[in-house]
Amino acid sequence: MFRFLLARLAAFALTLLAASAVLFVTINVLPGSAAKSALGINATPQAIQRFEAERGLDRPLWEQYGEWLGRTLQGDFGTSFQNSVAVGPDLLKRLPVTLELAVLAFLIANLIALPLGALAARKHGKGLDRSVTFLATILGAVPNFWLATLLVLVFTLTLRWLPPGGFTPFAADPLMNLKQMIMPALSLGLVSSALLIRIMRASMLEILSSDFIRTAEAKGANARTVVMRHALRNALIPYLNVAAVEFGFLFGSVVVIEDIFRLPGLGSFVLVGIINRDYPVLLAGALAITVFVLVVNLVVDIAAGLLDPRQVKGRHA
Amino acid sequence: MSLSGLDPQTRFDFGRWRLVIIGGLLVGLVLAAAIFAPWIAPYSPLEFDVVEMLQPPSTAHWLGTDELGRDVLSRAIYAARISMQVALLAVTVGLVGGTLIGTIAAYFGGWVDAILMRTMDLLFSFPAILLAVVLMASLGNSVWNAMIAIGLVFIPGFSRLARASTQSVLRQQYVEAARTIGMSDVQIIFREILPNIVAPLLVEAAVAFAYAVLLESALSFLGLGAQPPDASWGNMLSTGRGFMAQAPWLSLVPGMAMFICVLGFNLLGDGLRDVFDPHMRH
Repeated sequence: MFRFLLARLAAFALTLLAASAVLFVTINVLPGSAAKSALGINATPQAIQRFEAERGLDRPLWEQYGEWLGRTLQGDFGTSFQNSVAVGPDLLKRLPVTLELAVLAFLIANLIALPLGALAARKHGKGLDRSVTFLATILGAVPNFWLATLLVLVFTLTLRWLPPGGFTPFAADPLMNLKQMIMPALSLGLVSSALLIRIMRASMLEILSSDFIRTAEAKGANARTVVMRHALRNALIPYLNVAAVEFGFLFGSVVVIEDIFRLPGLGSFVLVGIINRDYPVLLAGALAITVFVLVVNLVVDIAAGLLDPRQVKGRHA
Repeated sequence: MSLSGLDPQTRFDFGRWRLVIIGGLLVGLVLAAAIFAPWIAPYSPLEFDVVEMLQPPSTAHWLGTDELGRDVLSRAIYAARISMQVALLAVTVGLVGGTLIGTIAAYFGGWVDAILMRTMDLLFSFPAILLAVVLMASLGNSVWNAMIAIGLVFIPGFSRLARASTQSVLRQQYVEAARTIGMSDVQIIFREILPNIVAPLLVEAAVAFAYAVLLESALSFLGLGAQPPDASWGNMLSTGRGFMAQAPWLSLVPGMAMFICVLGFNLLGDGLRDVFDPHMRH
């Protein structure tokens, strides 16, 4: 188990390092656009040159990357090209917003997918199964940013129950916080549940038709024990792996959803960074999102290892 | 065998093809709109008429008009063009690039396999939309760049599938036979392997098509993809949201169009998977 953990951690660190290089290079391949964006389109070539020299944008890419990596590891994310404000503290302020959104959305997705998927598998081929599959098909085709629009249309403009957007910290006003978070979380969670329902149903079906379940039933264990103790635990392993990928997708989608609901999180940070060609902002936001996705994958990997000890052995065989 | 005297295997089985047919019809609808846009759109998608601004659906404008008095139905029809173009090219980039990388990795194995697939794993670890958005930042905002960005996002998925399929084909005797008679690596890859891994890749392509439509709409919605005045479902929805209270049809129409398109490709992909691989069916 210890060797398994160590191997996963090492792989995590390597992936993170490589991912940071990919982000850095992708964002920095086009020099000039950042200067133009910060100084305006009428900037003189001399002004652009000075801007790039001051920020080291004229040096070789690998040199810039090395310096950036060194600073970033010490927690220094540089200053914004646009307004010269330090990026790090801003990032720290935005972190909890996105985290709350993503966790709520993921919770919603799983609270829908786990029971519905398991239920559909138990009632395989019956009306309930068909309805659940139909629901998953419909949900899976709705763009989350359209769902967000529809929710605002119904709950804000028509019923006037919920505010159209904005953010209040949970500590300041818990009720207001939840009122502002529920629509963004639903937009992400409902759409994500579509795939998860299908995965849960499929893996549950597979487990329920396997030999050891038949043995358990033959021994006379009641249906409830069979499902709860034997089937669910085994169906969760493939489910968890897909859920981790889906969480990554969901976490990426905050770029769109935060923009719609005016949430000051990592997603809107990335978007502002792109629109202004503000590389330090864009890099910090994109890197933070990537780190989260990688951490979740690491946790799921370890959780899957705990649920299924064969995975731990298999990786070293 | 059967009472009607027909072999049940050759009789057309509607149940088996149901999803393919429904999905195909929806996809056909969108494709027809995209191909025949100039002939079926009742108005020009760009011509504006301030007198007709923000009109609700009527007999003259079936789906109403937008903030510049442009016909929403016509714009939605033309937007299908952009969506289909972007999706087609993006999926092609992903399919060709991914197949090439996956087949080469599986065929040569060893360090080639290790380097290529670790790179793919790395790209796969980014959330797709984040990767697309970051790529747009470096490529610049335009429809063409959206195609490239989305295509690049698809490469890792296709390469994994191509690699797995190639590995199972490599164990077949006909590949051994081809080697024995002295076919070159390139010949074996193109004549023996590729034709035998096409089916799963095409199924994946249908699903990727749906995803490409979603990604293109999201990029255009954020203002990074198709640029106004060109109509794309994403940028129509984005401007429509500003007039949600007075003119909800501006938000409903492009969303519905995306939904029909994505649903169509998803059903088609699911259906094809059932048909090609009955074991997967539940």
